[in-house]
Amino acid sequence: MIALHHGGPSGYSASLLIALAEKGLAYEDHPLDLATFAQHAPDFLAINPSGQVPVLREDGRTLTEAFFTLLYLDERYPDPPLGGADPQARYTVQKWGKYVETHIAPNLAIVDWAMRGQVPDDAVRAGFERLPAERRALWEQALEGFPAEEVQGARAALAKAADRIAEDLADRGWLAGDGWSLADIIVFPHAAYFASLDIAVPAAMVDWLARAGQRPAVRQALGAQGLVAASATMGPERGRWG
Amino acid sequence: MLEVYTWEPNANSGKPLFCLKEKQVPFVFHYIDMGKREHFSPGFLAVNRDGTIPAVVHDGFVMTESTPIMEYIDDAFDGPALRPADPYWRWRMRQVMRFMDNQVAPSLAMLASNRLAAPQFQGADPAELKRELDKIPLPERRAAWEKLMFNKTPPADLEESTRRVREAIRHFDALLAQTPWLAGPDFSLADINVIATFYGLPTSQPEQVNAQATPHLWDWLRRCHARPGIQQAFQLGKGYIGQRAAEARSLLGVEAVAA
Repeated sequence: MIALHHGGPSGYSASLLIALAEKGLAYEDHPLDLATFAQHAPDFLAINPSGQVPVLREDGRTLTEAFFTLLYLDERYPDPPLGGADPQARYTVQKWGKYVETHIAPNLAIVDWAMRGQVPDDAVRAGFERLPAERRALWEQALEGFPAEEVQGARAALAKAADRIAEDLADRGWLAGDGWSLADIIVFPHAAYFASLDIAVPAAMVDWLARAGQRPAVRQALGAQGLVAASATMGPERGRWG
Repeated sequence: MLEVYTWEPNANSGKPLFCLKEKQVPFVFHYIDMGKREHFSPGFLAVNRDGTIPAVVHDGFVMTESTPIMEYIDDAFDGPALRPADPYWRWRMRQVMRFMDNQVAPSLAMLASNRLAAPQFQGADPAELKRELDKIPLPERRAAWEKLMFNKTPPADLEESTRRVREAIRHFDALLAQTPWLAGPDFSLADINVIATFYGLPTSQPEQVNAQATPHLWDWLRRCHARPGIQQAFQLGKGYIGQRAAEARSLLGVEAVAA
C-alpha cells in the first residue's frame, strides 16, 4: 500500500494528492502541519533527512522529490496515462518539471517569505539546525532577510514564468500535448499563488487555472477549500553557477 | 531531421552527443563555439532565445533542457535502451541526474571556469566586457558571467563548490559499491550525465580520484571510457576536450577502440 506524507493541499504536496486522485489510488494518509514546521521534527527527518514533503512510501521504499515521484506513479500505474501521449509531450512534461524546480518554486518561496515577514520562534530555529547543510543554508539566508534586489529578481522570474506558461497554453490549452498531464499537475498548485503575490497573470493562465480547478479529481484531492495558502517553504536551491 | 547545436562533448553541452552516439542515431552537428560566446550570437538566439546550449531540434521541435533532452533521445529513437524498465530504478536514475545537475555540475563548472576561462578576461576593457554581458539573455547566466569576467566569485562560493565536488566523489563511489552502474545493473542516462562532467577527474583530481581512494568510481570511469559510443562522442570535439579525454583514458589504461 502507498503511504503519503504531505503538507496538505498546497505546492508540491497538492501535485501528489491530485495525481493519486486522478489515478484512483488508495493511500495511507500522513498529513503534516507545515505551519508548525512538523517536517523538521526528528520523527519526520528519520523518513526524509532533507525535511521536505511530499514523501511517498511503497514496498518498503521511500521516494522523495515530487516531480520524480509523479513520474514513478505514472510509470507504475499507467491508467489513466498522465505523462504525455508522445515523445514531444513527454519532453514538455519533463521540461515543466524542471522549470518548476529551477525557476518557479525557489522564487515563489522568496517572494512569499518577503511578504509574510515571519519571525520564527526558537523551536522552529532548532528545527533548521537538524537539516543537512544545503537546506540549512537556505533557511539561514531567509532568516537574514532577502535583499530588495533579490526579491525583485524573484518577482521578475515569476512574471516571466507566467508568460511562458501562457505561451505553452496558447497552442492547445494545456501545458503538454492535447490534454491534462503531469506538466499541468506540477505547475498548477504553484501557479495558483501568483495572483496573491501580485504577479501579473495572463488571461490564458487565468482560464487554465479555472479549468484545472474544476476537474473532478482535483476537487476531490483538494477538498472543500481548494488549494490552501502555502506555509513558509524554502528552496530548492537556485542554480549556483548560472 | 535531427540537429544538435552545442559546444564540446563536455557537461550539459555533451549530454545529447553522448546519448546519440550510444544509441547510434545519426544527426547534424552545429558546433557552437562557447569560447567565442557564439551561444549569445543572434544566429543561435534565433534557435534558442535563452542562449543556452545544448539545443536539439527534431523535425522542427526545439528542445533546450539538457536532461529532459536525454530522456527524449532515449524515448524517441531506436537503439539500446538507456533507461531502466523498472519505475523505481528510473526514479533512482533521475535522482542521480538531479544531484549531478543541481549540486555537482554547477560546482565543477564554477571551479573550472574560474581556473580556465577567467584569466582571458584579465586586462580586458571593462566597457567591452559590459557590452558582452548585455548580450546574455538570462539574468542568472549574466550574473555568473559577470562574476567570471570581473573576477568577483566569492571565495566562500569556491570553497563550497570544492566541498560539494569532494562529497559527490565519495557519494558516487559508495553508490557504485552497490551496483555496477549508477542506476542499477545496466548502463543508463545517469552514467552518461555523470561521465559528461566527471570524465577528466583522473587527471584533474588525481589526489581524490584514484584506484586506491575511490576503487569503485575508478573502475566505473574505466568502463565508461572504454565504451565505443562515449569515445565516438569525444571525437566530435574540436578543442581541448578530446585531448583531456585521451589523457584520462591513458591514465586509466583504456585503449581507444572507436574508429
